[in-house]
Amino acid sequence: MKHITIRTLLSALLVLILLPLTGCWSNKEIEDLGLIVGTSLDLEKQGEPREESSGQAGGPPHRDRITITNQFVTAETTGKGTKTGTSQQKAYNNVSETGDTILPTLRNMVLRIEKRAFAEHSKVIIIGEDLARTMDLQKILDFFIREQEMRPSGLLLIAQNRASKILESKKPMDIPALKLVEMTHGHGRTTKILPPTTLTKIEGKLHSGASFLLQNVVSPSNGDIKFAGAAVIEGKTRKLRGFLNEKEIEGLTWITGKGKGGLVKSVDKKTGQPIIYEILSMKSKIKPHVDGNNISFDIKIESEGRIAEHWVVSEKTMETEFLKRTEKEIEKEVERLVKNVLDKIQHEYKTDVSGFGNKLRIKYPHIWKTVKKDWDQTFSEVPIKHEVKITIKDYGTSDE
Amino acid sequence: MMGSSKGQITNVQAAVILVNYILAAGILTLPRTSVEKVKTPDVWITVILGGIIAMIVGLIIVKLNQRYPEKTFYQYSQEIVGKWMGGFLSLLIIGYFFTLSAYEVRTMAEVTGLFLLEGTPTWAIILPFMWIGLYLIIGGINTIARLFEIIFPITIVIFLLVAFLSLGIFELDNLRPVLGLGIVPMLKGIKTTALAFLGSEIMLLLVAFMKKPDKAVKVVLIGVFIPLLFYVITVVMVIGALSIDGVVTSTWPTLELMRSFEIPGLIFERFESFLLVIWIMQIFTTFTITYYAAALGLAQLFKKKIHPFVYGLVPIIYVIAMAPKNINDLFKLGDMVGNVALLLFAVLPVILLLVSRVRGGKA
Repeated sequence: MKHITIRTLLSALLVLILLPLTGCWSNKEIEDLGLIVGTSLDLEKQGEPREESSGQAGGPPHRDRITITNQFVTAETTGKGTKTGTSQQKAYNNVSETGDTILPTLRNMVLRIEKRAFAEHSKVIIIGEDLARTMDLQKILDFFIREQEMRPSGLLLIAQNRASKILESKKPMDIPALKLVEMTHGHGRTTKILPPTTLTKIEGKLHSGASFLLQNVVSPSNGDIKFAGAAVIEGKTRKLRGFLNEKEIEGLTWITGKGKGGLVKSVDKKTGQPIIYEILSMKSKIKPHVDGNNISFDIKIESEGRIAEHWVVSEKTMETEFLKRTEKEIEKEVERLVKNVLDKIQHEYKTDVSGFGNKLRIKYPHIWKTVKKDWDQTFSEVPIKHEVKITIKDYGTSDE
Repeated sequence: MMGSSKGQITNVQAAVILVNYILAAGILTLPRTSVEKVKTPDVWITVILGGIIAMIVGLIIVKLNQRYPEKTFYQYSQEIVGKWMGGFLSLLIIGYFFTLSAYEVRTMAEVTGLFLLEGTPTWAIILPFMWIGLYLIIGGINTIARLFEIIFPITIVIFLLVAFLSLGIFELDNLRPVLGLGIVPMLKGIKTTALAFLGSEIMLLLVAFMKKPDKAVKVVLIGVFIPLLFYVITVVMVIGALSIDGVVTSTWPTLELMRSFEIPGLIFERFESFLLVIWIMQIFTTFTITYYAAALGLAQLFKKKIHPFVYGLVPIIYVIAMAPKNINDLFKLGDMVGNVALLLFAVLPVILLLVSRVRGGKA
């Protein structure tokens, strides 16, 4: 008898256990989620009308106000995008909100959207130029680094002018945030794009106080977004110091030797016709020297490549003499690029964004300990020598 | 199940238990805790040194145990230092075991609450976990060993997979220079890294269960060496990706690493869930073995059956696990457990071994 009661009890228990199995504890149905794929942050200029959401009277003292725009994808989750016909719906939906700190502002978005904002798949954060110039990046990014929903693999970009413009596209089916991510993959084929910088890498840099570069993105009036140069973030203030243009990025890529491909355009001295050199490999060695209190650097740059195009009709690429001459020309051009950017980061911006400090840290850790606090200042005064060696390996399928 | 200690497990099983026990909560925080102390990229050397210390501690414990074949610490300690002192030491160690097991459960609950089961209350994560542990322990050491044998290869394969997937964001420069500021900073972290290898103490009981206790030395060496490899790989990958400045700002740096990369083309984006899966299994193993060690100790100390103690410990462990109010309290509890372990298992076995030698000589 006893046996049977235990059995009934157990079966009753089993049935009870089945009940909670029907649902997950804190489930979020994918249809009810608003998937955020990108976020932009802008400084709200004074004088512009305030959003009604900031109606709290007697709030904290006035601070710079930030406009946050979240890009939600719509087509994938709701299926409305598959509709064909006259009213073509956009594949994305931008929602903006203004406030003085990040999270409360984001929470205010709840008042405007019907779905639960979900940032696990957010790919990119774009910070507007004005905001980056006036506010400490660590403060701006604190929430994004702290929040566990946001992934540290997200990219960080700086936008010239307004960042929210970048998240707009004239083609309705494009999702600008995802497009930006695709565009960073191009850095293997040109020296004009920086390697993608994720939140992970920035966290360490912000904490160590090193200056660094962020990819800069612009939105020209014709509506198509474009990568253009880089933004220089000063380590000490963690604010935007200025921009480097594409030519300067090229020079910088030659200094770091991290480029995987790209072109150098030079001019043949005799004829004045262009010669295009395609980079096959790129190597650079930055050597720090310490002599007493004097720090100096040597850069040795080596590259192999091919002639990809040349308009010098009179010469044959087969001839060694012409190749030698061209090598010299390209060396000169690269040296010019390097010199140019060094001049700018050393004397105009006074920030070490090309890893010279890192080399010093590795080679002379004790010296680094003493100079690291004022490194950007020290860097602006150190002599840097550079040497470029170009080897042309081949000239494609045409020997003309 | 009188808490008797007959030879029940093979040497391989013993080594697997040791490996699973050592690998636990520490792997998620080790990069941060050790870099905070060392402050240079030489942490990986410190980890190796910590491992070597753990091996030495393990060897001493094994040597002590081999003097009393087929007996666990709870049984032979009274022979060395007398009934009352031995009983007291056993109680201390039992207390250590169930506190550690409570700490592991709570850490598991914190991390899963943050990354996987957002919104699920802590008790709802802890209780099922403990019940399953209870179910396993009722089966005895042999059942535990067999489950650990299943968990072990899964852990290795998944761990190596996710660790090497992160190579894409690895930068060698973050690990240089080697010994740039000399060996002094490196030595500062030894205590921290040695604590990550907590686990050799299980040999106090395990040797009694082994079929071939004479091979226990080998078991300890292998059992510490495998976690050593795991830890070195983890520390190298995390620092290589995040740099030492990035590591110290991150609460769970190892998870941060897994969240920091995406591999286009692979279906999965969230690699940290893989790591969390094996990590939860590792926490489970540590939780069950310490739970079992505590229950076994009580049973042998009071010469009663083990079952009442197994059930009786559930509420105690639960209360301790729920005691820390926030994450800082939890880390403090972890530090406390570590410091106690240092005293109990690095100092005590040496003394006991000496006393035992002196007494043994007389007998």
